[in-house]
This record gives sequence, C-alpha cells and structure tokens, in this order.
Amino acid sequence: MIAEKYAEEIKGIIARFPNKKSAVLPLMHLAQHEYGYMSQEAMREVAEILDLDPTQVLSLSGFYSLYYEEPVGKYVMEICNDLACALRGADQFVDMACRKLDTTVDATTEDGLFTIKTVMCLGACDRAPMLQCNLKFEENLDEGKFDQLLARLREEAVSEQKSPSIVEKIVAYAK
Amino acid sequence: MSDLVTLTIDGVEVSVPKGTLVADAAKKIQIDIPVFCYHPKLEPVGMCRVCLVEIGLPMRDRATGELLKNEDGSPKLSFRGLQTGCTVAVSEGMAVRTASQPVKEARGAVLEFLLSSHPLDCPVCDKGGECPLQNLTMAHGKGTSRMAFNDKLKIAKHVPLGELIYLDRERCIQCARCIRFQEEIVDDPVIRFHNRGRSLEIVTMSEPGFDSYWSGNTTDICPVGALTTSDFRFGARPWELTPAASICPHCPVGCNTTMSTRREAISGGRKVIKRIMPRQNEAVNEIWICDKGRFVHHFADSAQRLTTPLIRKDGQLVEASWDEALDLVAGQLQKHKSAAAGLASGRLSNEDLFQFQKLFRKGLGSRNIDLANRQLGGGEIVAQVGVGSGTNLKDLGKGDAILVVASDLHEEAPLWWMRVKQAAERGVSLVLVNGRRTRLDKFAAHTVNYEPGQGLMTIRRLFGLAQVETESTRDDQLAAAAEKLIKAENLVAFYGSEGLTFDESDALAKLLGNLLLIKNGHNHTGRANNGLIPVWPHSNSQGAWDMGIHPAYGPGYAALETPGLGAAQIYAGAASGDIEALYVVGADPVGDGLMADRGKLSFLVVQELFLTETAALADVVLPAQSWAEREGTYTNGERRVQRYYPAIPAYGDSRPDWQILAQVGERAGLEKPAFAASLMFKEIAKAVTQYKHMDYRSLAQVEKQWPDVGGDDLYYGGNAYENGSGLGQQWMAAAESGAVERFEAPDIEPNSFESLPLIQTRALYASGTLTNISKVIEARLVSPTLTVSPADAARLELSDGDVVDVAVNGASVQAKLSVSKYATVGLAQLSGVGSGFVSGTAAAEFNRVVESEKELA
Ligand code: SF4
Ligand code: SF4
Ligand code: FES
Ligand code: FES
Repeated sequence: MIAEKYAEEIKGIIARFPNKKSAVLPLMHLAQHEYGYMSQEAMREVAEILDLDPTQVLSLSGFYSLYYEEPVGKYVMEICNDLACALRGADQFVDMACRKLDTTVDATTEDGLFTIKTVMCLGACDRAPMLQCNLKFEENLDEGKFDQLLARLREEAVSEQKSPSIVEKIVAYAK
Repeated sequence: MSDLVTLTIDGVEVSVPKGTLVADAAKKIQIDIPVFCYHPKLEPVGMCRVCLVEIGLPMRDRATGELLKNEDGSPKLSFRGLQTGCTVAVSEGMAVRTASQPVKEARGAVLEFLLSSHPLDCPVCDKGGECPLQNLTMAHGKGTSRMAFNDKLKIAKHVPLGELIYLDRERCIQCARCIRFQEEIVDDPVIRFHNRGRSLEIVTMSEPGFDSYWSGNTTDICPVGALTTSDFRFGARPWELTPAASICPHCPVGCNTTMSTRREAISGGRKVIKRIMPRQNEAVNEIWICDKGRFVHHFADSAQRLTTPLIRKDGQLVEASWDEALDLVAGQLQKHKSAAAGLASGRLSNEDLFQFQKLFRKGLGSRNIDLANRQLGGGEIVAQVGVGSGTNLKDLGKGDAILVVASDLHEEAPLWWMRVKQAAERGVSLVLVNGRRTRLDKFAAHTVNYEPGQGLMTIRRLFGLAQVETESTRDDQLAAAAEKLIKAENLVAFYGSEGLTFDESDALAKLLGNLLLIKNGHNHTGRANNGLIPVWPHSNSQGAWDMGIHPAYGPGYAALETPGLGAAQIYAGAASGDIEALYVVGADPVGDGLMADRGKLSFLVVQELFLTETAALADVVLPAQSWAEREGTYTNGERRVQRYYPAIPAYGDSRPDWQILAQVGERAGLEKPAFAASLMFKEIAKAVTQYKHMDYRSLAQVEKQWPDVGGDDLYYGGNAYENGSGLGQQWMAAAESGAVERFEAPDIEPNSFESLPLIQTRALYASGTLTNISKVIEARLVSPTLTVSPADAARLELSDGDVVDVAVNGASVQAKLSVSKYATVGLAQLSGVGSGFVSGTAAAEFNRVVESEKELA
C-alpha cells in the first residue's frame, strides 16, 4: 500500500496542489514505481487516496504513454519511430533491437530486463534514431551504440547499482 | 433589451440573448447546424467538428474605429475560415453562413471521416431510425463512400459496462457526451475514455460496472447506437413502437416519461412495454430520468400479476367473478359500516383516492381511513406554504438559497438531487441540515450534521437564529446558515423524515413553515420559487393529502369535526376486534411489518397487483390494473398535477382501482360509477377547491420548450420524447392568495443515547413489491445493510462483512455490516429493510451472527 509506505511523500505532494485531485499524475508515478506498472490495484489505491473513481485513474493511464498497464522489464526502451526518426531508419533500428534481444515490440525479455516500445516524437528529431530508456535519452544511435548501451545496462543490473530513486524525482518534480 | 445580440444567419436576422452559441441561435430560427458532441445541456467542447460554419465579423476602420461599409451601404464583413458553431458565442453584427460551399465540403468531410470506421450495422442497431449519425449522413453526407473495407476497424461489439448498459465499440464516434453527462450533470465519473486515436474506448472500473443511478440517460444522448440498455437492446426497431405519455410512479418528483410499446409475437401477441424514456418537462425532469424510472416497469407484465378476483372458500382463495366478489365486499362492508376501516397507499392515483374516501365517508358512513404507512407529516402545512405555483428549480440562481433537512435526495428523489446540485453549481447557497453525510454535502455552502436525536432541536435553533437580525460575523455554521437563508431572495426548503418519527417530521414541517414566514425583506412564501417541498415516500402522497385520505381531513383539507381512526388505531383495532372489516388498497401492511396478521378482523379485502402477504390473508382479493394500463393523475411534491395515459391493455381481468371502488360504492348505495377517469377528475375539481381550475384538457396543455430536443429534428434524435401530452398544473398554496398564520409546533423532547443509535435510511433500489419483480435491476437491489464508521465498528468489535443481528424495540433483523470511511461517526444506518422498521432515531443492539468471510480467510 503506497498510502502507508509513502505517507509523508504523498502528503507533501498533495499539499502542493490547490485541488487534491490534481496530484493524480505524480501519485500514479509513485504507484507505478512501487508495483512496476499500473496494475488495477495500483489504480484503485491512487483513486482511494484522492477520492476519485478508479475509472478516472484508468483513463489517465490509458492516455499517457509513460504509464504501463502491463508488467514491464527493468529497463523500458521507448524508441521513437515517428516521421522524422522513421526517415532516418527508426523502423530498421526497432527491428534490429528486437532481433538483438530476441523479443518483440511491447514484450519483455525472458530475463525480465528489457521491454521495447515504440513511441511518438520525443522532440529529439535532429538526433534520430533515438530512444529513451527509463526516461533517459540515448541519441544518434546505431547498432554499435545500442550494443554498448545493452552492455552497460546489463552490468548495472548485475552490480545492483540503483539509478536514483524515482520517488525523489517525483517529489522534486511536483515542487 | 440591452442584453440581446442581433446577428444574421444565412441572411435571416435573429436576436438572441448574449452568450448564446451560434448553433443554438440558428436552431431558434429553424436553421439546422448539425452537431454531434454538442448538447444544449452540456458544456461545449468542440470535439467532433461537424458544426463547422463560416463566421463573418463586421470590420472597423483602424484609425477611427468606424464600421466599414460596402458600396451598397451594407457593413463590410471579414470571414476567417471555418469555425465550430457550437463553441462560438454570438456577437453584434455577426454573419453566419451555414450552407456555403466550404461549409458543405467540411461537413461532408467530417461525416465521411466518422463513417470511415463506422460499422454501418444500422439494420440491427437499436438507434437506427432515430439516429443522429444516420439522419445527418442522409442530410449532409456525400452519398458515396471511400471506406477501405480491409482497413475497417473490427473491435468488440458487445462490451457490458455493467449489467445495465452495453457498449458497441465500433459504433462509438468519440463525442464524449456520455462521459460529460456522467461528470458534469450527475457527478458520477464512472465511465471514461481509455487510450487515444483509433484505440480509444469507453471504460469503467467502478464496482458494479457503470455504478450510477443515471446510466440509462447516456443511451439517450449517445448520438449513435454505441450505448444501449440491456433491457431494450435488440428488442424492437424505433419505428415499430407506439408511444404513450406517462408519469413515473416511483417517487415524489413525478418525472414525465414516455412508454414505448409494441404488440409482439414473442410476448404471446400482447402489447408490452419495450422501454421507458424521459419526456421533456423543463419544470420537472427536463430531459432526464433515473434508472429506477427507466428500468422498474416489468412488474406490469409480470406473470405473478393477479388476473381475476379471488374469494376465500373453505380456507382457500379461489377464482370468482367480479359480480360475486363485488357483491360480497359491498355486503360485508355495509354490514360493519362504521366498524369498517380503509387503508390506501400514496401510489394510487387521485381518482382512486378520491373514490376511496367517498366510498367510506359517503357510502359506509365510516371516517376510519388513512394511508397504510404515513411516514412523513406536514401535508396541511404544505397546503399553506408549499412552493408557489410556477416554481421551477432551474430558475434559482445567485442570491437564492435551498435548504434540505433530514433527507437524502439522491436516494429518495433522484431528479431533485440532480437539480439541487445543479442549482448549487449555479451559485445558489445550499444549506444541509442532516444527521449524516449525504451525496449533496460536496455542493453545499453550509452543512450541519446534528447529533443523533437532535434534528428537531437543531431546526428550532436555526429558526431562533434566523429571527435575530445581526450583521456580526457568525462563525457558527448554523448561524451563518440562518443568515444565508433569511437573506436569500428566493428560498426553497425540502424536508424528509430520515431519523425522525412521524410526529417529529410533522413538527419539522411546522418549524420550517415558520422559518419561511419570517419577514425580513424577502417573502419566502406565496411566490414562485419559494416555499416548502416535502420529500414524500410515494409518487402520489401529495395527492392523498389533497383527496383527504386522512382521518382528520376531507378532500381539499376540510378539517373534520370528529376525526376517524388513523392507521395506528386501525391496526390496533384489527388486533383487538374494534375494527371488524378492513379494505386495503395498494398497500401491504403485513409485508411492511405494520400489522402482524389479520387479528380479529371478520372481513379483510385487499385490492392489489400481486398476492402480497396481506392479500394472502384476505377474504377477497381484487385485481387492480397497474398505472401502465389505465389513465389517471398524480400530484408531485411540488403540487403539480400530472396526467398519465394508458400504454398497454389490461392484464387479465384487472380493473382500475377507482372503478372497482366505484362499483363497490354503487352496491353500497352510491351513484353509478363514472364512465371515465376524466369524469372522476371533474368530480374531484368540484370537491377539491385547489383543483377547481383543472380538467383533463388543461392538464394536457403544452407549450414550446427549450432546448428543442424531441420531434423530427436531425440532431437530438432519440434523446427524449417531445412533450405533446401535458406539462401538468401546479395548484396554488394558501399563502399565494392570502396571509398565513404562524404554526404551533409542539415541543418534542430530544433524545440522547448511551450506546450507538440507529436510523433507517431509504435506498432507491430498496427491495419491495415492485422492484423485486423487475429483473433488470435485480443485481443492484439493496439487501439489509448496516453501515457504520470504522471507529464505531472497532468499538462494537465488528468487522466489514459480518452478519449482524439488529434489535430495535422488540423487533430484529439480520443485516450485513458495511464499514465505510464516509459513514458518520456515532450513528448506525440501516437500509434495505421494510419501511417503518426503525421509527425515528432509536437505541438498538448489535450482535454478530456470522463472522465475515474476509476475516476467516
Ligand atoms: S458512447 Fe456514444 S455518447 Fe459516448 S462517446 Fe461514444 S458516441 Fe459519444
Ligand atoms: S427521479 Fe423519481 S420520478 Fe424521476 S424517474 Fe426517478 S424514481 Fe421516477
Ligand atoms: S520524430 Fe522521433 S524524436 Fe521527433
Ligand atoms: S464540434 Fe461542434 S458539435 Fe462537435
């Protein structure tokens, strides 16, 4: 239950908005961080905290591509294949990435590490092909750079080096 | 008038109030700008673009600010492309083109776009025949299609959003009318869009799915057949249906409805009700009804209906002829004369009730008549200071106030809840004085939750505070509320009897009457939009007062010199033998726990739709017609007398209640029965002064209403029925024609409690004779439920889901415990049990019978 685990943080986030229900997006990030994705229970929890109907939370998670309604891997790679990126070979890049990881778009690798998704323009068209991995941009990609990225992430995963807690980021963002 | 704006639409000049939207202005002069997402009852969103028009504004000289003119002297206009007519408000000198080439092209393109993924299953679609998409395509579409059949979306077509409403994802044109209705109008945001673009769909996560008392309305305003009710879906084509105007029989609002009927093979060749939809009455229900009004009608054609008179022979109820039964009833009643008594229900029509009292008072010389279960007092107060004729809750706005006391309108009178909520959103100061939180709290300016048993005292204090004129800052909620009420330009007060005994509710009406009578600048009685509205338990409780179904009042509130016996005394008399014969019409006192058995009655006759528990004990049972089979009038809580019409033929050998009563009367020496309900009403108009200006013709009068939603127009098709059968007439309260004296309100000692006190609350879907038989809402019927706060549950050492034995005044019932964080601390609420189980606020005992399974797991 995020309501108990992050009681302080939640109070702080809610306090920053004139209207309690405006805190819904940061709380959804918090819940997603806790459970790995926006499960139905996660949606109900957020709704309960903010006196919303869970349908309202579901609707938001469906609208925004950064909320995942299915479980995802430790690293979510969102590859842009919108127009500008497509002109610079994004589709081939997606195929290559999937082949490398022996997976398909929206599926997760067997080791639970990687999920590949395709997304609309992320605003880095001049550095296509590009992707964002756990919200961090990786630009001007090619097969070699992608290999390096995978190697780095696999290492990070093994050494249990945690990226900075998203909870802190959410709290800071809501400020 | 200065706030009128003049513009031209397709060359026709029109003046409309400032703020009017272009689409509405055009509609006023019969120019149709097509719309899908726009609806005059909803905020405009401009999502679908079908209403694109060219809008030109007058040009001015930059230097002088003068209007520029063409050579012919007409004002020079600047047109800036296409704009949505549903979001742009009119302005002076504006010129709108709704039929130019660019407009036609844009419109055609939008329609083509919508149809590019539309299933075109019109031949099997419920909306086909009254579908705005179909109509607008016929009128404005291109006539050819570029649909790429291989790319056509193939998605789910039978998605239940709950057991009442189904979604056809392919048909949805994403206008969001349904979502906006649920959010803006009724504050139940339980359906929403999910995903974007072509994957967008309507979803719900509430439990049960689409959890709202209003869900059926979304199927009306959906401009396509994407939302359908499980009741009507695939049931009939709109053009096969015959409409009959009716009035909802379920609560005191008196919503105007239309029953759509069809004679059909699957019903054995009988004419049956296929659906009930709202019929526009902007002063009552506008274009909405609640789901109870829409779905609870199947009792009318239930196989459990009584079809012939029954007479008890050798201990068994056996079928008999009408003549035999009527002779027997008349003979028995005459035998017992003044030892005979009659109990009726507030569900009967005015015609029935009038004839009922006539039979007893004139035919038998007995004064012993009453309602079987009179839960709320104050009828004679309402007759004096009830809301003025011409009242329309929609007219209340800033500077006005509404007071609601001891009532949960959401459960007891849903349409009033909706309209009061909307009034509060328009700026009306809403003051709630209740024993607990209700769904109106969120919209109230002041909420006073009194301690259990202190309701009456709180109103007494409110009255006291309202009398003293002070400008001082009042930080006490009640004092602040009193000030708001008394200073309001218009004041409407609703009152109910939740947590109050009958006597307390009677005193409450008097206190509220006195509050309204305080003269402090504004007159709060005798005018439209001012006065009292009782939240009666039944659709025609008001009519029962008017017709004199009361031991102490005759028709038209004529006080009787020697009152007869009231219901309580009649029940006691039946048990003791003082009452020898009893005639019960439309009520089930045994089933409601008001009467244990037939006691020492030597004759009991019951007139009913079903073999109720009371009827099963009777000597004679007379089968009555349901409201759908006959005509009549109901008088709603705002004292609006409204006509309803027959929709389906009589079930079996049943007869209208008034006719049966008149036929008994004829045998007991009264004149021959009237030929028609309209003639009965003529008699009423003669006897009841308040009704003297009315007859069936005047009640059927209509006038043009806005918004224009019914009829043949192209864009609100299938929305609500146009009202061609009568808007009803409100009768004048005494205060409208003369001064009214203050009322003498008796002092009733407030109660205080040592342990957790209990009140009974009303639920819209409470089980009862009529609701139980309507299968559609079966899953939503409220079984006995005890609701307490987490703190009280802890104190009682009970947990959510336990089955608890609730004992009050010697009676007891088993109820499921619901622990809710929204429940008021220090008060237990019982719902889903027979009305009258708990009287007022009572001390009770709670004992666990079965432990919750959640605990055990
Ligand atoms: S279901 Fe009907 S009302 Fe709702 S968005 Fe779709 S078309 Fe509009
Ligand atoms: S609000 Fe009352 S009168 Fe209107 S439809 Fe519902 S139950 Fe019937
Ligand atoms: S199109 Fe890929 S970042 Fe803009
Ligand atoms: S945009 Fe005007 S009706 Fe939809």
